[in-house]
Amino acid sequence: MNASVVGRSVQRVDIRTKVQGQRKYPQDFHMEGMLHAAVVWSAHPHARITSIDTSRAEACAGVVKVLTHLDVPVNEYGINILDQQVLCEDRVRWLGDRVAVVVAETEAVAREAAAVVSVEYDPLPILDDPRESMKPGSPLVHENRESNVLVHYPIRAGDLDAGFSKADVIVEGYYLTPHVEHAYLQPEAGLGYIDDEGRVTVICATQWAYDDVHQIAHALDLPEDRVREIVPAIGGAFGGREDVSLQILVALGAFHTRRPVKMVWTREESFRGHGKRHPFFMRYKHGATRDGTLVALEAEIVADAGAYASTSTVVISNAVTFAAGPYVVPNARIDGYAVYTNNAVTMAMRGFGATQMPVGYECQMDKLAEALGMDPVELRLKNLYEEGSIAVTGNAVTFGIGAKEPLREAALAAGWREEAGHWKAPEVEPALQPHLRRGLGVACGYKNVGYSMGFEDRSEAIVELRLREDGAIASALVRIAASEVGQGVSTVLAQIAAETLGIPFERVRMSLVDTARAPDAGSSSASRHTYMSGNAVFMACQDALQARDDTLREETGRMHAQGQAVFRGRTARATTPLDPETGQCEPHIAYTFATQIALVEVDTETGEVEILTMWDSTNSGRAINPAMVFGQVAGGIHMGVGYALTERFIQEEGRIKTRGFGEYYIPTVLDMPRELVHVGVEVPNPTGPYGATGIGETTTLPTAPAILNAIHNAIGKWVYRLPADSETVWRALHERRRPA
Amino acid sequence: MPTLTMVLNGHQTSVEVEAGDLLVDVLRDRLQLIGTKIGCGEGECGACTVLVDGLAVTSCIYPALKADGCHVTTIEGLKTDGKLHAIQEAFIQCTAAQCGYCTPGMIMSAYALLSENPDPTVEEIKTSVSGNLCRCTGYYQIVEAIQLAARKLADEGADS
Repeated sequence: MNASVVGRSVQRVDIRTKVQGQRKYPQDFHMEGMLHAAVVWSAHPHARITSIDTSRAEACAGVVKVLTHLDVPVNEYGINILDQQVLCEDRVRWLGDRVAVVVAETEAVAREAAAVVSVEYDPLPILDDPRESMKPGSPLVHENRESNVLVHYPIRAGDLDAGFSKADVIVEGYYLTPHVEHAYLQPEAGLGYIDDEGRVTVICATQWAYDDVHQIAHALDLPEDRVREIVPAIGGAFGGREDVSLQILVALGAFHTRRPVKMVWTREESFRGHGKRHPFFMRYKHGATRDGTLVALEAEIVADAGAYASTSTVVISNAVTFAAGPYVVPNARIDGYAVYTNNAVTMAMRGFGATQMPVGYECQMDKLAEALGMDPVELRLKNLYEEGSIAVTGNAVTFGIGAKEPLREAALAAGWREEAGHWKAPEVEPALQPHLRRGLGVACGYKNVGYSMGFEDRSEAIVELRLREDGAIASALVRIAASEVGQGVSTVLAQIAAETLGIPFERVRMSLVDTARAPDAGSSSASRHTYMSGNAVFMACQDALQARDDTLREETGRMHAQGQAVFRGRTARATTPLDPETGQCEPHIAYTFATQIALVEVDTETGEVEILTMWDSTNSGRAINPAMVFGQVAGGIHMGVGYALTERFIQEEGRIKTRGFGEYYIPTVLDMPRELVHVGVEVPNPTGPYGATGIGETTTLPTAPAILNAIHNAIGKWVYRLPADSETVWRALHERRRPA
Repeated sequence: MPTLTMVLNGHQTSVEVEAGDLLVDVLRDRLQLIGTKIGCGEGECGACTVLVDGLAVTSCIYPALKADGCHVTTIEGLKTDGKLHAIQEAFIQCTAAQCGYCTPGMIMSAYALLSENPDPTVEEIKTSVSGNLCRCTGYYQIVEAIQLAARKLADEGADS
């Protein structure tokens, strides 16, 4: 038996080609006779289309075809609700809507011709604030609906009035989180063609190839087995590649021209053409007794859904289940609304509704600690879930949750001491200059792993073994359509396969993600692949070993054995939808918990915030690959730092003012915490493969509230809206009264 | 059409270009060197970083003809005799790539730094890659890899 592969920081399976620039991303593919396509984007955030004239574009030399709504067999799509038109016929609702696609011999010609497609519009009122557009009588984004409120999810637990009447202290707050751009480095690109078996085939970067196939087939009115998607290297995703972007467009181009059609978006088009993280307007009210026990919570969340539903209904149902944070609160009233506007569509982004909530509940916890004169770590530990605690949705939170361990570990690492049952924060060493002030801030966060609230979660894997004469395994091929977006899923699954088969890691190969060759693993989202697909690969390996043993026993002489398995999340825990009146349900399969503590230095003259040290403790369950766990932590913190301090996606009346990295600032290496201290916690999840769980999203949850709490600790002022850029912090320093 | 003549990854190379062509497009579309990536098209993200006469430049805003008569090095030019460069090896060892799209540009910036300054401080390393955006890694393993590469190169130098 070889040394254990699980738990070792083995070399990533994709890294050797990546450091040589050899790995191909969608924009790197070329085909003989290939055409190029360019989008004609909506010119208005909200308007009726009165005419579309393609004649000038069609007359351009080199133009092969101009596609409009007339060329789309079934002109509708959408990941959950079919409320988007592939190419708009009569109405546009945001600047990311597409009206036409020009297919030409060169990209330059396609773009030039796209500029002369003449579309006339009759502008409609622009709705850019969900708090306004949710009011009765507001103009409608979708004319066939009664209201712009896409969905309202209530949660009712216990007796709210009785809870607040027991409270000795009540704290309130209003918190605003902004649109966030995924800002993956690889802009959208795709190549559509007809493969040798006559299938409409798309090469592109996606989080879920099978769902793309489903949507492409629907729009093209083809059986799903006549559509194929191949996923090469993906340059980051973070939720932004969960919805289709240009997949249907290049498929449509190839379908009509019968030639390969390539489309590559510029950075500006990428910013325009895919959705963002939902802005949340969150009103919070917490009540606690003098000893710090939470007794009541009232929360209202209004989320900007943008122009189309995308996954907003599920993002908001997720958000309300996390509104109380990882704390036991017996009496709660929570309301979440997703509201249509003419702003950018909002969609999945690292956390899926769980990322906004800690900005509210964790700032509330620090306000409460201050009001009670209690240490913020102690207050949190007093209320944090334990194995089996009951959430506001009425379910018991279980499966080796390890909720308290990360807080303890991070606090101890940052210098907290526990003395006689009380926690004591370390003295913060003062800054070297008087205009600089330092502060420490704590925040916890938690999130689901796997699809939630009754949505079927399944992952399927096939493992093929090549055998030697003596029956030993020469090599294994794992076939599974799990998108490697950079998070390391291919390596994790290869490690699980090697461990389960008992062969060296180097003898496992991962097949390409290709719907013609690999079974459906579900999406690279919900931090789910390590858990879901890890279980599927584990089971498929066991099945393959059984097949190998059968082959040997029966002396068939076969040199191959194959295993196949489906892991269903419901076999670990069956989830249920929110009760429409009370929200009571079994929301999630499994959970991941994290804590981060920030030490910041605020320049009181400029409002600039520098993060000196960030301590992280995330419970990963068994860490399959510790170096990649650290990579997820550091990457999550990167995104959290941008969320907290630098990233401002600006729209004015539905028009996008941030068009690239020169205007939208994702943190550079110089903006990151000078020091990152990661303390791993590995409380095993008994239902995960080798005790592992998913961590991709939770690592970004505590970052922003930890920074906000640290800013407050440094300057004594609350910043209640993100990003806390220098102007926002400067204004907080100079404000005369508290904002409403 | 004007001709661009350069020493590309050690080889004398001539290619006909249009006056306004950008270096990145010539490398990727004409010479099939796809290791150089386009992330923004405006010189902000560094994914297209290559070396022109030893200097790291963002090839997405660099006129191709400006490289005429120059030595141009891309990620494809770092290997010698089929052996990866020490920086590439260090990136592998430190798990310093996730999605990998920024990686070639990041490595080229590090290569420019270490060619000039074989023993950089952490601050110098950070400054050298501060024009290279990464959305995945948080940069720590990248900085660590460049430190490791500097040590590897020093050892290689000591061995030879």
